[in-house]
Amino acid sequence: MPLRLRGLGPEVSPSCVLLKFWGAMAIWSMLTVGVSAFVIQPEEHTVAAGNCHFRGKHPQTRLKVEGEPVAMRCPQVPYWDSASAGVNVTWRRNDSTTIPGEEKTRVWVQDGALWIVPALQGDSGTYICTVRNASYCDEMSVELGVFEKTEASLSLMSYPQIIPMSTSGLLVCPDLSEFIHNKTDVKIQWYKESVPLDQGGEKFLSVRGTRLLVNNVSVEDAGYYTCAMTFAHGGRSYNITRNIKLRIKKKEEETIPVIISPRQTISASLGSRLTIPCKVFLGAGIPTTTVLWWMANNTHIDDAYQGGRVTEGQRQEYSENNENYIEVPLIFERVIREDLHTDFKCVVINTMSFQTLRTTVKEAASFSWGIALAPLALIILVLGGIWIHRRCKRRTGKTYGLIELKTGHQDS
Amino acid sequence: MEVSRYLCSYLISFLLFLFHSETACHPLGKRPCRMQAFRIWDVNQKTFYLRNNQLVAGYLQGPNTKLEEKIDVVPVEPHFVFLGIHGGKLCLSCVKSGDEMKLQLDAVNITDLRKNSEQDKRFTFIRSDSGPTTSFESAACPGWFLCTALEADQPVGLTNTPKAAVKVTKFYFQQDQ
Repeated sequence: MPLRLRGLGPEVSPSCVLLKFWGAMAIWSMLTVGVSAFVIQPEEHTVAAGNCHFRGKHPQTRLKVEGEPVAMRCPQVPYWDSASAGVNVTWRRNDSTTIPGEEKTRVWVQDGALWIVPALQGDSGTYICTVRNASYCDEMSVELGVFEKTEASLSLMSYPQIIPMSTSGLLVCPDLSEFIHNKTDVKIQWYKESVPLDQGGEKFLSVRGTRLLVNNVSVEDAGYYTCAMTFAHGGRSYNITRNIKLRIKKKEEETIPVIISPRQTISASLGSRLTIPCKVFLGAGIPTTTVLWWMANNTHIDDAYQGGRVTEGQRQEYSENNENYIEVPLIFERVIREDLHTDFKCVVINTMSFQTLRTTVKEAASFSWGIALAPLALIILVLGGIWIHRRCKRRTGKTYGLIELKTGHQDS
Repeated sequence: MEVSRYLCSYLISFLLFLFHSETACHPLGKRPCRMQAFRIWDVNQKTFYLRNNQLVAGYLQGPNTKLEEKIDVVPVEPHFVFLGIHGGKLCLSCVKSGDEMKLQLDAVNITDLRKNSEQDKRFTFIRSDSGPTTSFESAACPGWFLCTALEADQPVGLTNTPKAAVKVTKFYFQQDQ
């Protein structure tokens, strides 16, 4: 859909902004389709390609900016093995163009890595890396996308990074290992929204090359950062930039949970339905990190009652007077004698605490209630019957039936 | 007329009350109540993803962020947890291989794992928090911690030298919201 609209763009609206937007949408949709397509593909896809074991497509698509150097490691070779003796690494495009192993061209292979200096949009596509020695051969493909440097493409290519609020954390300039390999002094300049940062100050501190320590982060520190380094090749100097989208995550506040119900014993009559709520008080603590469940004689409820006579009800999270509570009920379809000898336990866990509360079911003196309620029910039944008989004589039979149902429920 | 209508609505709401609460927490008989999803990323900002059925840590850009694996957690005791991915269908375990301990992904359901089972001990990790970060030590392989390499796109593994500079054992570990 965005692709079609992009084609229509110039005719319908000549606005440059709109064009850029549709362009970005088209890039985005292409990439999304690309990514989802290989996610669906089976990972263990093996195809014999000239006696070589094809290990599938690398899950990541490499996205780079036009004009910058690109270096891609062969994904199936551990980085420390790439220069090891006896292993022959070759690269080719999927149109079968073999990439030369010398540095005289714009695209070459060196120490097992594919180099493109500088990258052009036409370099986008699939590259296949073959690793061969005397006894084995395997292949893997890598997808490369080279884009024009626009605001839309930069935000699309950005790397999300997160630092929790009020802590000090690192920003890392990613995917530079090929360029800084064998180098002791790496100079990386950091920018926030295009403004160069003071990297030796109290707020930001450059750490061991590719990292930037951000002290005591606050919400204002969120946003787009750029890190840049220069790379010299063939008498020319190239910029390598990476875009980072920093999010500041609010630290979740946890408190020690307190189980405030159930009581130690619960009265119930045999054969009746019973619900025992386990209610946990959290105060100001957030409920999401606290887990709560029931056990019967140290067995999980699902395992202990596979027939489903006793089940755990739905978890409820709610607040009363700005204080948080969680509740999970234990539901008995009907109480049987066995329940009177079962040790029921409500368990609550979060990172700060682990607590349990035991409860047992006691048989209620249900017969006395029955005796007390029976005449009352009978009186209600008779009075109700007379009343309905008087009010709507024609429908007596039907309404009487429903009254009976209601009192029947009250009885139990 | 009114009486019967009233009784009818009473009966419906009573029946709804009876059957509502029992179904919500147990879709297909699973126990999702005890399992929680967490986002994990190391202090060098690497996230987890799968490459050829192996868990690796790296920097995911733009549309690749879809590949991020979240960690499914089932708490066992305070600080003792089972860890899984893919909705708890693949679980992290420590397996001895020679003198080394290896991190393995086993196709078991995280909610089927049992706390006191000797067989399930290899899936248990001891979670320890220090400031904003969390470390995970294998309960079956004492002294071995979940780690990533300094380099990107390398396998997530276990190390017995958590203080060494070549491995990262400190993770940010936060409930996925």
